[in-house]
Amino acid sequence: MNTAKDIIECVGSIQPLPDTALKLMNVMSDPKSKLEDIVGTIKYDQAVTSEVLKLCNSAFFGMSREVTSLEDALKCLGTAKVLQMVMSVHTNNMLGREQHGYGLDPGVLWKHSVAVALASSQFAQKLRLADTNLAFTAGLLHDIGKTILNEHVADEFVEIVRIVTDERIAFVEAERRVLGYSHEEVGAMMAEKWKLPESIVRCIRYHHAPSDLETHDPLVDAVYLANCVCLLLGIGLGEDGLCSRADAEVLERHSLRESDLEFIGAQTVVELQRVQAMFGDTPNSEQVDS
Amino acid sequence: MDRVVDIADIKVTKDPRSTLITYSLGSCIGVAIWDPVNHVGGMLHYMLPESSISPDKAKANPAMFADTGIPTLFRSVYKIGAQKNNLVVKVAGGSHLLDDNGMFNIGKRNYVTLRKLFWKNKIMIDAEQVGGSISRTIRLNVGTGRFTIHSRGQETEL
Repeated sequence: MNTAKDIIECVGSIQPLPDTALKLMNVMSDPKSKLEDIVGTIKYDQAVTSEVLKLCNSAFFGMSREVTSLEDALKCLGTAKVLQMVMSVHTNNMLGREQHGYGLDPGVLWKHSVAVALASSQFAQKLRLADTNLAFTAGLLHDIGKTILNEHVADEFVEIVRIVTDERIAFVEAERRVLGYSHEEVGAMMAEKWKLPESIVRCIRYHHAPSDLETHDPLVDAVYLANCVCLLLGIGLGEDGLCSRADAEVLERHSLRESDLEFIGAQTVVELQRVQAMFGDTPNSEQVDS
Repeated sequence: MDRVVDIADIKVTKDPRSTLITYSLGSCIGVAIWDPVNHVGGMLHYMLPESSISPDKAKANPAMFADTGIPTLFRSVYKIGAQKNNLVVKVAGGSHLLDDNGMFNIGKRNYVTLRKLFWKNKIMIDAEQVGGSISRTIRLNVGTGRFTIHSRGQETEL
């Protein structure tokens, strides 16, 4: 079996992204787009609208009255929250599945992706980037390549781990060496096939190695740092663990300190618990049992 | 019965049938304490070394930080009958990225803060497994005190 060829065939036969998600990402990546464009994009997708209304009316938000329209939801919760909700709903199906090759139980990759999305938009804010929503989406999709590479990693897991352990290289580098492609490259190919904005493709392709870009891109740096923080905090860690390179240059480029990473990490965990509660996955809050 | 300790969470119990478990420790640290005489167990999964980074968050959830979470863990087990002299203390986690410059050192700092606090309060660590670049899941059986670490498909008992 030719693994590399097989991987390319898998990428060739992926399902298209839902139309709404695609349009939304294009609207979001265009700095000239306005609020009305965003509303216009979601409004005609009934499935998404009803999902948003259901989430808005869930016990989590504790609304005093029923939210009955998309405009109403945007007014009550703000555009950013609603957009994040739409994107999270759209990716749940794809990223929510078990990825056994990476040792990720059902729901774990989605949780990691949402956490990286939340942290990416915080880093984008910290780096004063214009569009934190774009950072959210790039963060949400950064590991999408794992959904295809999963089976191949499962087949070659022992060899990949041997190289990672013996040579102390990153898991992503061992993937490339053993399988011909890494999950970054596969993810970028998927995003290209979906015709996602170039800025998002770049984030997916370089989320483990932002300094490999000839012209550094602060959006890629934001997603890279977000992924580092979520790995460090163990949010959605798989068997690849923390075998990813720490790149001090990225911190230096933006004059960030370790305390910035810590602060954003703490904030991410708080926000993630809110999102999980919204989707009905409540962290257990009870503390003492005698 | 498995009782899950989330990230930034503490659970204590005197039910000998329960197993305290925390998943996926990266640079976070899991502290398990057990009183074999009074059959009390407790587990903490903290994220960051010092609460000074965000006092509001520490107030809302002391289990997020070492300097607020560790004292809360010990107080919580004393409250349900554990005694300091009996306690068996085990520690795991504190992993790091492949980091030549030590700029992303949360794991090491998490561990240093724990050691300082234990030193000040005369608490001995009975067993530990910290560092490396692996993810760890830990379990404490409150009935027997058996403490295990699960990582990369293998289980080790400490």
